[in-house]
Amino acid sequence: MFFDSDLLMSALRALTPILLAALGGAICERAGVFNIGLEGMMLMGCFTAVTTSWFTGSPWLGVLAAALAAAAYSLILAVGTVTLRGDAVVLGVAMNLLAVGLTSFLLRTIFGVQGTFDDPSLAGLPLIGGLSPLAYLSWAAVAVAAVMLSRHVWGLRLRGVGEAPDAAATLGVSPAQYKYAAVLLSGVLCGLAGAQLALGNVTLFTENMTAGRGWIAVVAVMLGRALPLGVLLAALLFGLAEAAGFRLQGLGLPQQATDAAPYVVTLGALFLTTARRRRRVRPSSTGATS
Amino acid sequence: MLRRSRRTLQVAATTALLVTAATACNAAAKDDAGSASAGSDTSFTLVTPDAVGQNEFLKLAVSGIKSAAKQHNGSQKVYESTDTASQQQNVQAAVDAKPDVIVLVGFEFADIVAQQAEKNPKQQFLIVDACTTKTFKNVSCAVFREHEGVFLAGAEAGLLSKSGKVGAVDVLDTPQFRRYSDPFAAGAKKVAPKTTTDTRFVGGQSPFDDSARAKEQADTLLAKGYDQLMAAAAAGNYGVFEATKAKGAYAYGVDVNQCTAAPGTVVDNVIKRTDVAVEKGIESVLDGKAGTTVSYGLKEGGISLTGLEDGVATSKCVIADHADVLAKVKELRDQIVSGKLTVDDPAAG
Repeated sequence: MFFDSDLLMSALRALTPILLAALGGAICERAGVFNIGLEGMMLMGCFTAVTTSWFTGSPWLGVLAAALAAAAYSLILAVGTVTLRGDAVVLGVAMNLLAVGLTSFLLRTIFGVQGTFDDPSLAGLPLIGGLSPLAYLSWAAVAVAAVMLSRHVWGLRLRGVGEAPDAAATLGVSPAQYKYAAVLLSGVLCGLAGAQLALGNVTLFTENMTAGRGWIAVVAVMLGRALPLGVLLAALLFGLAEAAGFRLQGLGLPQQATDAAPYVVTLGALFLTTARRRRRVRPSSTGATS
Repeated sequence: MLRRSRRTLQVAATTALLVTAATACNAAAKDDAGSASAGSDTSFTLVTPDAVGQNEFLKLAVSGIKSAAKQHNGSQKVYESTDTASQQQNVQAAVDAKPDVIVLVGFEFADIVAQQAEKNPKQQFLIVDACTTKTFKNVSCAVFREHEGVFLAGAEAGLLSKSGKVGAVDVLDTPQFRRYSDPFAAGAKKVAPKTTTDTRFVGGQSPFDDSARAKEQADTLLAKGYDQLMAAAAAGNYGVFEATKAKGAYAYGVDVNQCTAAPGTVVDNVIKRTDVAVEKGIESVLDGKAGTTVSYGLKEGGISLTGLEDGVATSKCVIADHADVLAKVKELRDQIVSGKLTVDDPAAG
């Protein structure tokens, strides 16, 4: 059988880190900050989670520390774009590069090893129903984010800041405050994503272990149009594509072809969603001009 | 508007500084001058791609150059690199010092050596575990026949498998990396012809670092009842070990003794004896056979298994408890060494 519970579990394991990071990216996007530093923030989360869990013996403290450390790291983006009005893309790329160098450097300094830190006594997260508790948290976070962004005053103001900062400012809403909050929140979520990867999916730290998951999250934000539910669906699509890719190798498909699975799915989904969106937009826009 | 763009520039500059600062920390090359007996004629320099530290692969190379120096009554130096920038600097420093032979370990040096060899035609270079694409009269290469060792590990797996299913998790589907998976299947089938075999490739955006993906790949094999897995996924090996340990299955490591990473789970390792390659490589250069590529396998002692080396008992490897399996594997090794049995090389041709 091709579609079975193993495939689903594999997809859900792949989903969690991407989903958490993508939610953070979506919140930033809604506040008008284009965050492509997800990968770097996540990697900081991975490293802090492993280090803290190793020294305290508690994976939960590891999760907490990862969230805090990644939030602190995200301040680079917040201060850089909001206060200093720098370019978010430049900053994001720099943060990703810095994270790889910094974590590799700290790995050597703290643990005296290169490449990978792995120890049988490193405590990972427990499993509930085959999944890490952070998986359930990520689903709850989708629901909370969806309600906050569409119903709660905080979310509505955040969107206002993102869409028309000047208008929001005239109404007494401080764009800077909301943008800072959004970036810090994305830091927390990326930290959790990193903790999930390093203490949930596996229990170890490897240099550059995020391996492009932060970039997949950036694409999930775009594909899901920065809507929490859309992001969930997009991330789930990637998770399923990856898990199915592994299966297809078992059926004799070459690795190079199965590697392409997530990207083929992305292109397909982009094509379908834009085609549908265009069809919907066209009549109304012609109606407006006539 | 002008003020704004100046600020953007400022931020960009600060970030650039930050990034350089972080990499600069790594760039501080650690030159470790080894014990040198002054006044001797022959001298060798070893340049490593990374800090030696606990890296068994490089530790062996260091002991190789030390015994070469002893043998030829010469002196030796070790330059440890920490990143690409310091690799360049160290090779330059080694060339400036003009030793008899400069030994470099790893594919990282192939391009750097090609440049230096052209500029310094009188300097002898020896690259271990890689080679330049163009041949030079003053560049010798020592490469390994990994597939011979992997074949023996496969034989162990075939003998130890209870389910009769033996698999491998490999990095990429290329001929060079298939040396770690195809011979594993062949070895298992040699001792147990009915064995089912399968290989999964990690792939993805960074196949060498992605332990989570490697673990998932291992899980798909384990779910189908595979109970012996060759782990050839670079840093992903640790993910493979986690998966096999959770299922009570067994794994096989590469390059160095990885049994310590998961005692009771890792059966054996295909190891590269860089010390043998360094020693014999230097010897052949001094004998006037420079500019050639020599491959090291079971016969030359360049490739081995942890189980076939001294110190198996303390290696924490599962194979230490299976003397009967080791006896059979030794037989196969002798057949390969004598040429009675040849292992197909997926990277040949």
